[in-house]
Amino acid sequence: MTSKLIASSLRQQLAKSAHQFHRQLLSTAAAAAVPAPAEPQHHGDSTGIMMKGVKISGRPLYLDVQATSPVDPRVLDAMLPYYMSRFGNPHSRTHMYGWESDLAVENARAQVASLVGASPKEIVFTSGATESNNISIKGVMHFYKDKKKHVITTQTEHKCVLDSCRHLQQEGFDITYLPVGSDGIIDLEKLRSAIRPDTGLVSVMAVNNEIGVVQPVEEIGKICKEFNVPFHTDAAQALGKIPLDVEKWNVSLMSLSGHKIYGPKGVGALYLRRRPRIRVEPQMNGGGQERGIRSGTVPTPLVVGFGAACELAMKEMEYDDKRISALQERLLNGIREKLDGVVVNGSMERRYAGNLNLSFAYVEGESLLMGLKEVAVSSGSACTSASLEPSYVLRALGVDEDMAHTSIRFGIGRFTTEAEIDRAIDLTVHQVQKLREMSPLYEMVKEGINIKDIQWAQH
Amino acid sequence: MASASLSSNIPSRAQILSLLRSLLRTARQFPDYNIREYTKRRAIDAFRHNQNLTDQASIASAYSDGKAQLEIAKRQAIVYSLYAPNIKSVMDLKL
Repeated sequence: MTSKLIASSLRQQLAKSAHQFHRQLLSTAAAAAVPAPAEPQHHGDSTGIMMKGVKISGRPLYLDVQATSPVDPRVLDAMLPYYMSRFGNPHSRTHMYGWESDLAVENARAQVASLVGASPKEIVFTSGATESNNISIKGVMHFYKDKKKHVITTQTEHKCVLDSCRHLQQEGFDITYLPVGSDGIIDLEKLRSAIRPDTGLVSVMAVNNEIGVVQPVEEIGKICKEFNVPFHTDAAQALGKIPLDVEKWNVSLMSLSGHKIYGPKGVGALYLRRRPRIRVEPQMNGGGQERGIRSGTVPTPLVVGFGAACELAMKEMEYDDKRISALQERLLNGIREKLDGVVVNGSMERRYAGNLNLSFAYVEGESLLMGLKEVAVSSGSACTSASLEPSYVLRALGVDEDMAHTSIRFGIGRFTTEAEIDRAIDLTVHQVQKLREMSPLYEMVKEGINIKDIQWAQH
Repeated sequence: MASASLSSNIPSRAQILSLLRSLLRTARQFPDYNIREYTKRRAIDAFRHNQNLTDQASIASAYSDGKAQLEIAKRQAIVYSLYAPNIKSVMDLKL
């Protein structure tokens, strides 16, 4: 018995040391043969990576399609040939390279035009909606500066519209910033009364980028027609999402963007009405491309991608909209079921379903965003998300400072799945509950104290 | 569904089902979670949407459209695999 035991333990020992020896030999051999792997960009592939001091285990689920959308594989498929053999300059008139690129650009122009109900001749390709907005506002006002001195816009416009207006203001133009109601919609009567004989442009965005409310564009168009004032709309967030018709809306200028509709970044378009003709002063001078309105070589691959994205959007709008509306409902109900004090910012009726801007009472917004590492969302516009200031859009709506600080914009797109929505609900609810447990304010509210009545001591 | 027709333009039931299977097989090759799920979902929904088509011309056009989509999916599944990121989507990780 004992001898048997000794023998077996001895055997085990021997086996272990042999194994160890073997391993050592192997590892040294391996070390000698294989050089150290070059630049380990991501350390530890199974446990995730560190980025900006945050440990990330996987790519977060993407719910920020208002910032930008992923490129649709069908769009990429259309673009790729123009990054390879078909690289010609569309303005080259003397060889096949130029001709084939030119054909592709004109085809894309027709695709964009047909999505908005325009003639291809009315579409000018630009670098994006920001450039289109700049051409529209500064270009129109500069062109008609002898007679027109006044611009009407709203307080909730995109930064590039507001900044263009501020630029004009410094040049001596007069700007009216229309206020919006608590639902984010402008008052048509206020617009009507703001129009003056020297009003040169009305600029109101179609779908708001932060809160997703849809302005009554058709009615605004009617008013502008009545007073014979050119109407510009920033439709970057509306294109491909809501039906869009330049005749019905009576717009003179419209800004469009490629990367919000599953197209490439760096391309957009400006719709410029031909009858009655609206003229602009170019912001970019040069080779006279795009009828001199936007000089610079037209980027064929990007434009082709934008065109393909527009055609896809036309085909998929109904399908996408049905899905996105269902997902929005699922998200909102899922969160409301488990949390109280959740407020939707902006009108619920006049809203594009893919944008759900929520405020969570008694929670600090930045902590919530930091806690939601696995959900890519933002507190509002990507352009202003670097600042800790609450969004100017929410302030224009009259949202209280504390609620404006806790807003999160959930963006639902073509590629969002039900499973992602469910995961987002779980993570958000968990995080909000965790933060509320720590919050003394929430405790006081639960005890029935009205926060607004508290007299904060001044130190 | 159209019964077997003499015209070679009209796809048979077997051809149609085979197209759907090919689309689903190609969809699985996308490393990207969202694109993979979308391709699957879109293919199934499109076939479901068209299952009651009776007009032979529209069946033929839906079939050739699906064929074109399959070619795109095949090419893009390769492109996406070539540039697959090191880190997977959180939706693909086991909890």
